[in-house]
Amino acid sequence: MTVIFTNIPATLLSVIAAQAGIQNLWHCAWPAAATMLALAFVFAMALLIASEKLKVRVDAKIEQVHKVLPNLDCGACGFPGCVQYAKAVINDTNLLGKCSPGGLKTAQKIAQILNLQISDSGPVKRPIVHCRAHTGDKTYLAEYAGILSCTAANALPTAHACKFGCLGFGDCTAVCKFDALHIIDGLATVDYNKCTGCGACVKACPRNIIEMVPFAHENMLTVACSNKETGKVTRQMCAVGCIGCKLCAKQSELFKVTDNLARLDYTKYAPSEKIETALNKCPTGVIVYRGPSAPEPRPAKKPKPAKA
Amino acid sequence: MDTLTTLLLTFISIVLINNLVFTKFLGICPYLGVSGRIDMAFGMGLAVTFVVTLAGTLTFLLDHLILIPMNLEVTRYVCYILVIAGAVQLVEMYLKKFFPALYDSFGIFLPLITTNCAILGLCLFINLWGIDNLLEAVVLSFGAGIGFTIAICIMAGIRENLDLADVPKPLKGAPITLITAGLLTLAFMGFAGMIR
Repeated sequence: MTVIFTNIPATLLSVIAAQAGIQNLWHCAWPAAATMLALAFVFAMALLIASEKLKVRVDAKIEQVHKVLPNLDCGACGFPGCVQYAKAVINDTNLLGKCSPGGLKTAQKIAQILNLQISDSGPVKRPIVHCRAHTGDKTYLAEYAGILSCTAANALPTAHACKFGCLGFGDCTAVCKFDALHIIDGLATVDYNKCTGCGACVKACPRNIIEMVPFAHENMLTVACSNKETGKVTRQMCAVGCIGCKLCAKQSELFKVTDNLARLDYTKYAPSEKIETALNKCPTGVIVYRGPSAPEPRPAKKPKPAKA
Repeated sequence: MDTLTTLLLTFISIVLINNLVFTKFLGICPYLGVSGRIDMAFGMGLAVTFVVTLAGTLTFLLDHLILIPMNLEVTRYVCYILVIAGAVQLVEMYLKKFFPALYDSFGIFLPLITTNCAILGLCLFINLWGIDNLLEAVVLSFGAGIGFTIAICIMAGIRENLDLADVPKPLKGAPITLITAGLLTLAFMGFAGMIR
């Protein structure tokens, strides 16, 4: 054989060798290929039959509703995730407006899928922290060196002089899934551009100073204090506490003072000159704007030293 | 009697001594990923047990009835993957139809079992260890699943308690989990060499 091949040019030789190689390869490969194909065919058939036999009829609406949901699985609706909510909302239309991250748009889309008409369920809700005292504004009775959590600190009567204000250990920031809450200089501060209104922070705060407020306007006015002590006591412990002086209530009917603490009536809230005057007249500057483009609040005055 | 002893020894061997997770370091992904809560870990363990038993048996039959007579051992890996993927799909459909609650609780983990290397590993080990008895192969597969369940449940139990511990900040999360896994493996090394 070799004698014959020597007369043939080298290029032709390599072509023949390659052809022989391919043929050889083919002889080895075809049983493998055939087996694999047969196996794949058998499995495909088995799965095809199984998928027909074991078909589960799922309500097509569940899939549709699930698609329009934000898919954050935040749990604001009271269900573990968006799939569960989608299943529930189809059977119970009362649950329609429960998705707060999705808001009105999502509710409308779901209503469209379910052939329902919904009325405007009102503005979206966002949390407001009813405290504006930063580290320098607060008074401390002792240095707290315990577990760094608000729930633990709240169990101590002497963690802060104020029994109502923000403790600043960030229980609310820990539960926020959207990075929308930060402790800035000792005060929980909401980032309204990131907030979805799921309300997890409201549940986490041991002092219940975070409230869900219907944001009818971009920025909402609030009395950023929860202190129910008398004005004198409040002044001694906080530079920016509400002292219950009722100056704001005299300006506008929206303010109501109960237990030495002013509160805004958000059901009737509308910006007006009167509440602007109230904001400016407030002696401690505790009435502030909160929102994505809220103006900086008035700087706090130094707390008066407690009389000996 | 003799077969029974062999089977029992095989079972104990794969559960404790040759545990796929602890000594072969297979299936580490779900072992670390799904061991956050003990109930979920147990569910994952059961799912793996079911699939690995099915896959081990099927691949053993495939190997001995088709691949070895046809001299096609080279295609073993591909064929095994095919069998495992098919089995997982079948189990998924079956669960969805007859046990929807279980299906919901498995969630994403069930399809993930397809890529669980512990299962492919076990199928290949059956071949590597030269098991030529169907019964033994079934027991070995089932034992491997039980071993995985034990491993992942121990890990989940430790991690549940670890959540309450004061872990140094740089070690929080994945690092402490890996250290825990290493220590657990060390503990199981004590069984090494008892059987086989």
